[in-house]
Amino acid sequence: MKMGIPIPNPKLGMWLFLGTEIMFFTAFIGTYIVVRISGGADWPGPADTHIDITAGAVNTFVLIVSSFSVVMAHAAMTDKRYADARSWLWRTMILAIVFLCIKGYEYQGKFAHDILPGHIPETPVQAIAKVDRELEDVVRNRLAYYTDYEVVSVEQPDDLAVLVPQLQVFQQGGDAASESIGADEAAEYRERAASDIALYQKWKNLNEHKIANVSLAAVQSAEISSYREARSALKEGEKLPELTLGEVSTYLEELKADETYGDAVTAGVFEPHPVLYGNLFASCYFLMTGFHAIHVLVGMILFGMALQQGARLNEKWLDWVENSGLYWHFVDLVWIFLFPLLYIAS
Amino acid sequence: MSHDDHESHHVNYLAVFFALCVFTALSVVFDVLSFDNHAVTIVLVMAVAVAKALCVMMFFMHLKFEGNWKYILLAPTTILAIGLPMALMPDIGAVYYTSKSPQKGAWAAEMAEYRAHHAEHAEEQHTETHESDAEHDDEKPEAAADNAGH
Repeated sequence: MKMGIPIPNPKLGMWLFLGTEIMFFTAFIGTYIVVRISGGADWPGPADTHIDITAGAVNTFVLIVSSFSVVMAHAAMTDKRYADARSWLWRTMILAIVFLCIKGYEYQGKFAHDILPGHIPETPVQAIAKVDRELEDVVRNRLAYYTDYEVVSVEQPDDLAVLVPQLQVFQQGGDAASESIGADEAAEYRERAASDIALYQKWKNLNEHKIANVSLAAVQSAEISSYREARSALKEGEKLPELTLGEVSTYLEELKADETYGDAVTAGVFEPHPVLYGNLFASCYFLMTGFHAIHVLVGMILFGMALQQGARLNEKWLDWVENSGLYWHFVDLVWIFLFPLLYIAS
Repeated sequence: MSHDDHESHHVNYLAVFFALCVFTALSVVFDVLSFDNHAVTIVLVMAVAVAKALCVMMFFMHLKFEGNWKYILLAPTTILAIGLPMALMPDIGAVYYTSKSPQKGAWAAEMAEYRAHHAEHAEEQHTETHESDAEHDDEKPEAAADNAGH
């Protein structure tokens, strides 16, 4: 009486594992489909998500070729052509590395625009708040320079309201806190301090306007007096115009164009770009492609262990190569579905 | 060894590979054609994806030549794969009421203003400050009127 399924145990094991992997990926892909449908017309398009369909199509092609090369490796193993099998496995390995490189390039593009779950502003108000936060970080980093190098000494260096006046005193000719700073060095610090104080004041201006939610054009400075003046000019029932994202964007561009602190601002503050459903998109994107990339790495380890045998690769490794091939085909299958869903259906 | 069963089914892997390449090119072509109804593109592209998946599963993974155990294995996973989205669809996917989320409410007016402003500045390249001030004067009464409405 014939018992069980007529395949070797390792192959059955791999297929059962692939069954669970199918459930694993359909959980994420199915959820993405549902969430994408709920977003409807408001779901971000390629301009907002920086999805590069060329990179996706090339990656699809790379994985298809690698699927072909791994099945040729298995055919070579069954025909006992072990040298051929090794070269097909090497080709698969190299294609896997190419896939990960292209994926890395795509991820780099996302990071450059701060497209990360939780980082994306979804409304203009959130975008303004984000610019304010990032500019504050730039200002704090610049000002920490003076306390770190003992140019200025204050009890609480985090309290900018105390630090900046002290820095102004130094900048206008006061002595440095540390005695080891010579006259030339101090002159360089003073020049730098002038631009950092200016940047601080620019940030403070934006911050005050953001807190009061008043347009930058309506109230020209952060002083209370100009705010009161603008309000006194209002008629009954009128309100001061609100801060708009367009204004903040222009303000930021001016800061980035400045000769002294422009580079620091450009490096530290991202272009404000609100994207409705942006964080949901980023979360789905990185989860699906991230898990897929991890599976590609695991596939590479499987091939690596076979390739490590070198000339010792023999019939004992037939099951291993077949099962690695099955795993790799599954990885290809997932990408075959990820590509249209992420790159084309957006 | 059970591998002997498969020796007689000689699969032309190269032919399957070319079929996969053609399908991939086809899905990119469908995307580039960009039909008026985007749903048409999605249906066509997903059909191509299913065809590619079948090629890989049947031939590369050799399932065409395996026994009936493949159905026992894949049935539970397929049921779950289809069941999960179906279970979530009524709660999350189907939107049959007007969304009152603040993002969607405030979104349209503010984003229109931002996009108009951003497009202008992208063209001007920070040269004409007078023009942008004039725009701000135009937009301020509108913004004030919107605020009065809210």
